[in-house]
Amino acid sequence: MDLLAATDIIIPTKLLVWFGLACFFTALGCSQVGTFLVMRKMSLVGDAISHSVLPGIVLAFLVVGTLDSPWLLIGAGLSGVLATLLIELIHYRSRIKQDAAIGISFTSLFALGVLLIGLKAGKVDLDPDCVIFGQVEYLQGYPRVEWWGLEFPRPLVSFAVVGVSATVVVAVLYRILLVSSFDPSLAASYGYFPAVVQLVLMGLTSFVVVSAFQAVGAILVIALLILPGATAYLCANRLPMILLLAGVHALLSSVGGVWLALSLGINTGAAVVLAGGGLFTLAWLFGPVDGVVVRLWMRRRAGEGREPVSACE
Amino acid sequence: MNMILGAGLSGLSGLTLALIASLALGLASGLLGTFVVLRRESLFGDMLSHAVFPGVVAGFFLSGWLAREGWVENAKNPLVILFCALVAGVLGAMVVTVLGNSTRLKQDARLGVVLSVFFAGGIALFGFGEPAGVQGVLYGQMAAIDATDLRLMLGAAAIVGVAVFLFRRPLLVVSFDEGYAHNLGYPVTWLTLMFSVLLTMAVVVAMQAVGVVLVSAMLITPAATAHLMTDRFPRMMVFSVLFTILASVGGTLLSGSISDFAAGPVIALCATALFVVAYVFAPRHGLAARFWRDRGQRQRIQRENVLKDIYRVLEREGFPAEGVTVGAFEAERRLDREGAERELKMLEHAGALIRRNGGERLVLSEEGWRQAARVVRNHRLWELYLTNEAEYQADHVHDDAEIVEHLLGEEAIQRLEAELGFPKTDPHGSPIPQPSAPPIHTTS
Amino acid sequence: MIALETHDLTVTYRKRPVLYGIDVVIPEGNLIGIVGPNGAGKSTLIKAVMGVVRSTGGWVKVFGKPVKESLKRIGYVPQRESIDWEFPVTVMDVALMGTYGKLGPFRWVGEEQRRRAREALERVGMLPYAKRQIGNLSGGQQQRVFLARALAQDSDLYLMDEPFAGVDAATESAIVELLKELRSQGKTVIVVHHDLQSAREYFDMLLLLNMRLVAFGPTAEVFTTELLQKTYGGRLTILSEMAEKAAREGTGKLHPKNEP
Repeated sequence: MDLLAATDIIIPTKLLVWFGLACFFTALGCSQVGTFLVMRKMSLVGDAISHSVLPGIVLAFLVVGTLDSPWLLIGAGLSGVLATLLIELIHYRSRIKQDAAIGISFTSLFALGVLLIGLKAGKVDLDPDCVIFGQVEYLQGYPRVEWWGLEFPRPLVSFAVVGVSATVVVAVLYRILLVSSFDPSLAASYGYFPAVVQLVLMGLTSFVVVSAFQAVGAILVIALLILPGATAYLCANRLPMILLLAGVHALLSSVGGVWLALSLGINTGAAVVLAGGGLFTLAWLFGPVDGVVVRLWMRRRAGEGREPVSACE
Repeated sequence: MNMILGAGLSGLSGLTLALIASLALGLASGLLGTFVVLRRESLFGDMLSHAVFPGVVAGFFLSGWLAREGWVENAKNPLVILFCALVAGVLGAMVVTVLGNSTRLKQDARLGVVLSVFFAGGIALFGFGEPAGVQGVLYGQMAAIDATDLRLMLGAAAIVGVAVFLFRRPLLVVSFDEGYAHNLGYPVTWLTLMFSVLLTMAVVVAMQAVGVVLVSAMLITPAATAHLMTDRFPRMMVFSVLFTILASVGGTLLSGSISDFAAGPVIALCATALFVVAYVFAPRHGLAARFWRDRGQRQRIQRENVLKDIYRVLEREGFPAEGVTVGAFEAERRLDREGAERELKMLEHAGALIRRNGGERLVLSEEGWRQAARVVRNHRLWELYLTNEAEYQADHVHDDAEIVEHLLGEEAIQRLEAELGFPKTDPHGSPIPQPSAPPIHTTS
Repeated sequence: MIALETHDLTVTYRKRPVLYGIDVVIPEGNLIGIVGPNGAGKSTLIKAVMGVVRSTGGWVKVFGKPVKESLKRIGYVPQRESIDWEFPVTVMDVALMGTYGKLGPFRWVGEEQRRRAREALERVGMLPYAKRQIGNLSGGQQQRVFLARALAQDSDLYLMDEPFAGVDAATESAIVELLKELRSQGKTVIVVHHDLQSAREYFDMLLLLNMRLVAFGPTAEVFTTELLQKTYGGRLTILSEMAEKAAREGTGKLHPKNEP
């Protein structure tokens, strides 16, 4: 791969915008919902849901024939619910612990999904690689819609709808989510029943995961869910700011990742995640709250006899 | 040595290779899976499988390059690939630890971050060309295993097997109770590191068979199945290995007959199928076993409750020798004729009841009397205990006594009697029967 | 008026009975301590009252109504160890949470709520720390923040789970003063407490608990050797064993309802 030649490539702006927007809207929704998953120490569950929705999506796809359909959401939702039920069934009715129950549940469902794709691959236009790798690139093949004089592939609209509505829902339910995540007993006393909140969160996760599938592929969805929140957690002390920074992370990693992908010729999904990982590393080093460099600097200041000021005021 | 092994293997058919691979898979993944499940580190295993992926891809690249430069003969050199995989795996684990020491991020988020970023790295590497055989890492390639892959799998599995055998006791202690391991002077850090390395090897083996994502299926599901089947650790390991091999062989054969598609998912689903079977039918812990146990007990409790009521009627009427009328029985149990007949049949079947006068009068057999007296004694003693010692309210006593009286063993009864001072009557003034005394009312 | 009433309250956790048939009637306007040995179910009693933990039998009424209807009148202060101190909230955020109950989940937080939160923080002496993230506080300070939250709730019945655990002497006296103040305002304060000696000084009434209600009444009456021995002495072992056996081996039911 001749890097010199790569930098000479003029990146088609249209593709940059399309792919960037697709990834951004997806990442936005995931970042908001995923931040709460991180706060609740439920990253593993997020990973499980992201794998478990595959059979639902595949079945829905086999029925409607296109990825651009709300039926995929329903399929995903049902699949996610099934996963949750299986986990409960295994964990509560036998001596198997929760982490193993989650593992058994999501690997079975994922295997089922991959098998379905494999069996039907010849009959329908669904490539197993698309599922694993994401298929933002295929956006080009879809019919266009026009907005404000500009052209966009139609799926972009659904990405936008999912991303924005997920963000709005999180904003509306913010207080409930905050209290339930911080202090479930207090939440219960306010009538925000933990079991219900959990279910809603699982539902939201399944909802945003469907778009994420198409953007970055099944295996990297977890990145879109937790990298923004994890990165923001290292940079801020209050939840509203964390949610905002997570959104910023979504934007930067999407744009940066798409640019990387188009210039270097690597898979878009992987590039977005790597960009996100880069941002995470920056936060790890320089984050105002938890950054390594910042902490070392603080310690040096304290060592010099100055009043140690908490970085969090 | 390599060449001999290679020569031996290349002569075998694809199916035989797959079968041998299943053995390797069983040994490596099955053994380590036991530890993973017991340590509750399923997510850690998942992270390793994703973190190892870029290592394997890089290994393919490196191996190919070395082959072109003439350093090795094989473009898919197993040692090179394994080495790169190990490096990646250990690196991933190290990053997780570093993040843990330097940030407030919780374990689940740390694992998720490393898992996804490393995996993305692996996929990104594909942008530089896709070396032959790498697809197999994603989906597994049981159906298409060749001699080279097998050498890798067997080698790794052998190392894992030997290491687990040699260090089984320290590994077990460290997994179960790290504090105690320190106490015993075990080098806990080294053992944990060794465990990570062994786990990485098991992951590499599993990846060859079922692909990256489903590695967890091979690590966890068979081990969980084994956990349902036995309470003993050595047996759990054996079962785990066995189930892994079964799933692998079954899945390979099955997928071969269904389609050309990779065997990975079918193997994973076979492992799940085994789990479901164990979930339902495992002795002691399975659903069926528990159901039968509950049912047996429910039947016993019901039988004793009926006997208790018969006793009460007998007591009220002064223990008449002719026994009790069916009508009185129906009234006491609040049943209609049909329901009463069912219960009476049950008692007769158990040898506790005898019917006289054309079925109209009920008389307890000697065995029936003993059981009835015992359960009534238990009930009344327990009520007395609750009322006196535990300051129970009058309207509570009956509900709880109903269950406990059936479960009191002789030892507990003796303790109760002693603590209550060998009472003669219960809180309602009814006498407490002595089952050991000769029956007041018998057959004859 | 009766603040809290339970009848035959029973809670089983993982096949082990934790509370067994609790009957208690607690009059309002008192400062009440719950004492008993470890594992006696003290925290569970409070959680069962709140409905945080599901009971397998019996019922609970708060101010004469089922708990669900009286939730807004209850202020709950949990055990500190159940909190994630690295959660991104500040002292002020936590105090404000106290106002959410009456505010409801969707209305904007207004000046009224902020004022209540500020006043609550002031009362416990934590107003200067308002902008600090909760992890950067000492044990005593953390406890005070949660008390401020409870104060901001402006409840009629307060349920507090070991508020004095791991707290320095100065904070402890400050908290006791605060509780007495609440009591003089007519509130009912029920506190799970771990130390017998101080329990005698702090509380008007004591509830002696060891899976069963051993005694409840004015401190002077209840703090007797005999009753204390009954609570801490382990004579109820047969009961707990049998109840556990019933839960484990029986058809799994201590009471007709299913266990959680």
